[in-house]
Amino acid sequence: MNNYLNLSIVELHNLLLKGEVKPSTLVLEAIEKCKNDEFNALEALNFDEALKKAYELDKKEVPSDNYFFGIPYIAKDNLSTKGLETTGGSNILKGYVPSFDATVISILNSLDAIMVAKSTLDELAMGGSGRSGHKGLQYNPFDKTKMHLIGGSSSGSAIVTAASYVPFALGSDTGDSIRKPASYGGLVGYKPTYGLISRFGLFPFSVSLDHIGYFTRSVEDAAILFDALNKYDENDYTSSLKERTKVCPLDEKEVKKVAVISEVISSIKDEKILNSFKNYVQELENRGVKVDYVNVDSNLLKAIYPSYIIISSAEATSNNANLDGVKFGNRKEGKTYQEVMFNTRNEGFGELIKRRFILGSYALMKENQEEVYLKAKRVRHAIVDTFNKILDEYDAFIAPAAPSVARKVNEDSDALDDTYLIADNYLAIGNFGGYPSITIPLGLKEGLPFGLSITSKIFADKKCFEVAKLSEDIIGLKGLSTSNIDEFIKEGK
Amino acid sequence: MKEVNKETLKIAAEKLLFDMEDSQYETLLNEFHVIIKQLELMDNIEDLSSYSPLSFPYVDESFSLLRDDEVIEETLLNKEEVLANAKEVRDGQIELPKVVG
Repeated sequence: MNNYLNLSIVELHNLLLKGEVKPSTLVLEAIEKCKNDEFNALEALNFDEALKKAYELDKKEVPSDNYFFGIPYIAKDNLSTKGLETTGGSNILKGYVPSFDATVISILNSLDAIMVAKSTLDELAMGGSGRSGHKGLQYNPFDKTKMHLIGGSSSGSAIVTAASYVPFALGSDTGDSIRKPASYGGLVGYKPTYGLISRFGLFPFSVSLDHIGYFTRSVEDAAILFDALNKYDENDYTSSLKERTKVCPLDEKEVKKVAVISEVISSIKDEKILNSFKNYVQELENRGVKVDYVNVDSNLLKAIYPSYIIISSAEATSNNANLDGVKFGNRKEGKTYQEVMFNTRNEGFGELIKRRFILGSYALMKENQEEVYLKAKRVRHAIVDTFNKILDEYDAFIAPAAPSVARKVNEDSDALDDTYLIADNYLAIGNFGGYPSITIPLGLKEGLPFGLSITSKIFADKKCFEVAKLSEDIIGLKGLSTSNIDEFIKEGK
Repeated sequence: MKEVNKETLKIAAEKLLFDMEDSQYETLLNEFHVIIKQLELMDNIEDLSSYSPLSFPYVDESFSLLRDDEVIEETLLNKEEVLANAKEVRDGQIELPKVVG
């Protein structure tokens, strides 16, 4: 089988420009890889349409200014795709076929990128494990024995990029649903400033926290994809009216000063991850970047997860009230319309999201509003205020994206332990404040990747990419995938 | 805070139009015990009451939030395509079990 799709978008574009490869060759390779999927990554397949489009593009001249022409990709299955089943990883939406495209899908269509399939996820994007969706477990492709998970909720999109079925895949991120699986999958995972990439057509989970983003295998690819998707959209009421500017070309020399949050680092116990981070920070300093260790009240950091779970569950309860099987979805029969709705929801939702809905509903109960729901939103405000101040002073704050490599299939964390409360959940800061935030590969431990997180202030997406580009150069894991990991290991990574 | 027991959880589920197995309520109740301990961590934050509840990451003139209530022809959905997702349709309307005789 060909392995062109292990290359970056930019490299593929150059091959297409030189006529060394055709769109149909790339799409056929993507289809072949999807057919051989061993990691349970996929939902609806779009092979016929994708091939049809590829053959049409074969006959056209490749435009030098469009990186996405003829490039195959995969979209998370909570993004509406016209004429193609979109389930959100839930049985309640089995058979639902949207009558419109999400704006991000329309943009990529207009650029002649080719969607070959949808990728699976934790049910309705809730749950960060890659095990709550209706397709069961999503395995980490770096472990052929299937003992480790890829993590979620954008589990399928992480797999298809890490195993190079495609050079990029779309995802969504409400707490860390792109950036955490990116860490476990050795990927670049990006979440933009809130309001810059339209969410029209995304199944809402928690609208004040939801972002659309994506996975790539290089920072450059992530930046050019941002430039393609960063557009005002009148269909999204939270689409920012600010004038849009391109982030490319990136200039790493513009990186001057970054912050490390000491309490995040001290909550990590894994020596290998800590050492890799230390070495990377040393090299940043060697290159003239000022690195300051900054203290944040650990009580504030420990409150991130509880406030996140309350706010997101409360919003989810309300946002998913439309799933009743009447207008769309997997309707179940009943003698009355109330029975129809009850039976549809009862049989359609999985256990985890039922539990989340109940938690959300509990937080919204009149007796609990002040003490639970509004308190969580006050915590959010305190966190955002604290990090706005830090980010006003620094180009970004940096830390390992997770305290460990990918979890084992049956592994659970201690929910009251600092490592869990801080290092495993601090990425939600990016959603609380709407900050641009990226994960890139930081190192490998026994053949499994772990990532670095970089977060900048709102609308400083360019700066975030520049810190990421510089860090990618220092770390030297650009382009990591399952097909080339052995070469990186040989190099001593 | 409202007391959490199996009964409260069952009532919440009923309002949300679903039910769970008994063992699943047990799991949820245990989960609540942990979550309540986690929620208590919010009380350790100094001066929390001085912060107003934050509903969006940032709100300023950069959101459109409201737009004119105008029909935009090119974004109108196709009626047949929309109705194709409803399980029972009659005369261009979604059909549900009869409520009154």
